[in-house]
Amino acid sequence: MLRLALKSLLAHKIRFALTAGTIVLGVTFVVAAFVTADSLRSTFDEIGVDINTGKDFTVRGALGFGEIANAPPVPDSLVNGIRAVDGVEVAEGRFFVDGVIPVDGSGEAVSTLGGPLAGVNWLEDESLSQYFLISGQWPQGHTEFAIGAETFANYDFELGRDYQVVTPTGPRTFTLTGTMQFGFPEDAGAGVVFSVFDTATAQEVLGYEGLFNEIDLRAVPGADLEDVRDRIEAALPPGAEVISSEEAAEEFGDFFEFFIGPLQTILLTFAFVVLFVSTFIISNTFNIVLGQRVRELSLLRALGATPRQVRRSVLIESLIIGTAASAAGIGLGMLGAVGLEALFDAFGASLPEGPLPLKLRTVAWAFAVGVGFTVIASLVPAIKASRVSPVAGLQEDTGDDGGHRRLWRPILGAALAATGLILIGRGLFADFDSTTAQLTSLGGGAAVVFVAVAVLSPLIAGPVVAALARPLPRILRTPGRLARDNAARSPRRTAATAVALTIGLALVAMVLVVGQSLKDTFSDNLSSAIKADYVISTESFSGVPKTLAEDLRDSYVGTAVGLDSDLVQIFSPVAPDRIEETFITVTDIASIGEIANLGITDGSLSGIDPASAVYVHDEVADDLGLSVGDPVEVMLVSGERLTVAVGAVFSNTQQPFWGEWLIDQSLHQQTASADGFDDWVAVKAATTEPEASLALIEDVLSAYPQVSLEDRQQFQENAESDLNTVLALVNVFLLFALVVALVGIVNTLTLSVFERTHEIGLLRAVGMTRRQLRRVIRWEAATIALYGAIIGVALGLAFGVALSVAIPDNIIDRVSVPGAQMVGLVVVAVIFGLLAAVFPSYRAGRMNVLDAIAAD
Amino acid sequence: MTSSPTQALAVAARAVAASKIYGSGDTEVRALDAIDVDFEQGRFTAIMGPSGSGKSTLMHCMAGLDNVTSGQVIIGDTDLTTLSEKDLTLLRRDNVGFVFQAYNLVPTLNAIENITLPMDLAGDKGDRAWIDEVVGATGLADRVKHRPNELSGGQQQRVAVARALASRPQIIFADEPTGNVDSNTAGEILGFMRGAVDEMGQTIVMVTHDPVAASYADRVVFLVDGKIVDELADPTPQTIRDHMTRLGA
Repeated sequence: MLRLALKSLLAHKIRFALTAGTIVLGVTFVVAAFVTADSLRSTFDEIGVDINTGKDFTVRGALGFGEIANAPPVPDSLVNGIRAVDGVEVAEGRFFVDGVIPVDGSGEAVSTLGGPLAGVNWLEDESLSQYFLISGQWPQGHTEFAIGAETFANYDFELGRDYQVVTPTGPRTFTLTGTMQFGFPEDAGAGVVFSVFDTATAQEVLGYEGLFNEIDLRAVPGADLEDVRDRIEAALPPGAEVISSEEAAEEFGDFFEFFIGPLQTILLTFAFVVLFVSTFIISNTFNIVLGQRVRELSLLRALGATPRQVRRSVLIESLIIGTAASAAGIGLGMLGAVGLEALFDAFGASLPEGPLPLKLRTVAWAFAVGVGFTVIASLVPAIKASRVSPVAGLQEDTGDDGGHRRLWRPILGAALAATGLILIGRGLFADFDSTTAQLTSLGGGAAVVFVAVAVLSPLIAGPVVAALARPLPRILRTPGRLARDNAARSPRRTAATAVALTIGLALVAMVLVVGQSLKDTFSDNLSSAIKADYVISTESFSGVPKTLAEDLRDSYVGTAVGLDSDLVQIFSPVAPDRIEETFITVTDIASIGEIANLGITDGSLSGIDPASAVYVHDEVADDLGLSVGDPVEVMLVSGERLTVAVGAVFSNTQQPFWGEWLIDQSLHQQTASADGFDDWVAVKAATTEPEASLALIEDVLSAYPQVSLEDRQQFQENAESDLNTVLALVNVFLLFALVVALVGIVNTLTLSVFERTHEIGLLRAVGMTRRQLRRVIRWEAATIALYGAIIGVALGLAFGVALSVAIPDNIIDRVSVPGAQMVGLVVVAVIFGLLAAVFPSYRAGRMNVLDAIAAD
Repeated sequence: MTSSPTQALAVAARAVAASKIYGSGDTEVRALDAIDVDFEQGRFTAIMGPSGSGKSTLMHCMAGLDNVTSGQVIIGDTDLTTLSEKDLTLLRRDNVGFVFQAYNLVPTLNAIENITLPMDLAGDKGDRAWIDEVVGATGLADRVKHRPNELSGGQQQRVAVARALASRPQIIFADEPTGNVDSNTAGEILGFMRGAVDEMGQTIVMVTHDPVAASYADRVVFLVDGKIVDELADPTPQTIRDHMTRLGA
């Protein structure tokens, strides 16, 4: 049976190469997803090890909950206590604060491609800090600073000159005394810009008076590290913890999982879509090829092959295809990882470069999905092939299947459709513990609905295709007539071919509908919820210095309100068993009414002293049963708890400015979580003359070269253009599913042309020109594509509408259908169909008329 | 049968020193060996010969489905050897009719659509009255809306003959048109073809190996090894068999 399987594969090599190609594409995606994610992981792991070289332990504030990046600082007096611990050789407190920007001699602010702009202090012990002086001297006192050697080389700096440095406490002037290097020269840089101060200056400038970010220490050589650790732990006050350098390195690496994990999941999701679509193509190809081989199979059966042997031979074929495709996919996946980096680059989202590790897990997955999907796709065809009777070859077979309709089809289809819809409904409306579970329910439901469409589609394909192609005979005469009839003559085949396109287009249409609804909601809400004329933000990770809002107020430009967000946990005795982990917006409650329309529905912003109040969105308040005056506890990541009461309930949220919870900055400022930065500053101008206001704002901003100013119009346009970029990126990935669909149409047409050899010979003999014949095939393809596209766009519209309705109103509160884009999708699909016909119609045209007539 | 016309008739198609050679050197096969033959207008000619004698090749070359290696093939006034592939196609469409042994009809088209197919491909409405006459002659006027799979084998072949007749071609070529049907059905098809020659003045050339089928023709041409070896006018099954025995076929 193995020999038989191999022979059959060789006999149909082009066809199976095309089929395998679709699986190769899917496996390529899987491999590229894993390799890209692993590459990022190893890059960050290495950085984690690098920055933790030279020390044995780190002491830092213990987290109440949440992530390492939010670790609260420790009091600076703690460093003496640690130095006194037996076995500690050296201990120093240090800072690493993002958002410190030196401005060079030509007035250009130093920038990075997403890396931090760090303010740090130099340590006495260079091996502990890994900061090595390259030239000049370490800065001493409040007027001196040093910078990284790389920054020094790339920008206009000179030792001994004065430069402006933007800091969390505002812009200041320092004299440049030296240049330094982090780590050893060979792994220099790491994309970080350093501004270095002495420890006391750093505390003051970075806004950490009396505090350190963390204390690093090294044990006496030869000391038992476990003992040292125990002794340090004994010396620590509550709220502080000690971790080893290995743990710190690991934590650092793990931290980036917050985007690497989702990135991997998203890429794998696209891989799954491609493989899912490929499954239909492969199943269809197997079905048609086996149908054409009925004579051969029945001869085998007549010669004594058991049904089981026939089935096994088909499955072996699929196993060989799957294995070959997986192997090819692994190779291409490595290339794909490189391509992926280029793709992200093209869309303005650079990933750090690194080696491309191919892990055993990646290889295992590649083979599992590649072989798995191929074998699953061949199961039904294999079973059908095994049912071929030994005399089947003696009967006439035209490959058409229009005649029989079996009862199982509508029943199974309806059952699948119902199951899919229930899963989707559950995904949309039920409560879930995790987003992953919710998305799985939605995605699974959509997949089941697609299978239901594949099962039901043959029932309607005949008449619908005939109706869609109705104008063809009138426009193209007989070739149009034949194109229409050929597309309609084998509904099962047409349906199976079209379903791949249906799935791809449904996803694209859904993304476009949700995207449009999101954009429209956003724009409308923006005009109703935001009163500010200007918003100010920065690319810097830490944000805009809080001093900016003050400086703007001092300039009399109007009202300037800072908006910041902080991760918190919220409890309320009103809802004792609910803990909300969420972001809370920290702002100036007294002034927020000037820049925002919160839509207060109950209470007021001045009802309770803002320093003891929290303000909550009405949907959340309803959900938790909160009303004005109810007590609420807000726990910060430092573990500090703020006891407050609900001051007001409001109905408008406007991401990214504010969310569902608000507290006053005066309250937040007293906690260890306060960091001296805002995410945004919103400005309501005092005058109605934009030029006067802009002049005042720009005057203030000249001291903050890192920030960018947008008026409301620009902000909206930029936000929409960002969203469009994301949508475009998603659609580029979905394009691969459409390419698979294209291959499916090519396959089916090639096989159909082969099957209709005799008919084509006859048509050519009685006078059909090659051009007419090509036209028949081209428009048959276009008709199949149109059918798939219309179902796909309809389905995508339904999904998009459902999703838009289900997404909470503060994100999407309406359904907007981009009609022109929907029509565009259908047109593109028809063009795809015409393209798919190029090769099959060429082949049909080249057929020798005599051979075609003589073929049996 | 009918008596042959006495006066000399115009020629519908002719081959002049037509040769068809496959391969070269030791493996050279002469399927047609310098054949000269005329097919007169309004006559029914049968081509007979043993397997491999070249009878099908001759028909294919005469009909513009295949090219001769040397010599000339002429239909009406047109020398086929000078035509491009496209012009050959158009010549087949407009001036030649075909009836094959099987699979003569396009399964997605009904009977009348199959009959008018060459005209439809030409974008030409055809002569409605003539088409009605042809359809009437098939005896299938009430079944023209049926698809091929709803017709019997004999009915399908009659539709095929009607298609060949419908565009009033200069000549119709039939390749074993009764090869796939029983003798009663064969008689029905051959009678129809005979009628087309007698009543409509159509020229028909038919390849067959069946003496009974050939006996419907006005003239039988015998082919052996790519050469015309004999001819017989006003044949009967018996005279044909006698000739064949003499030829050792």
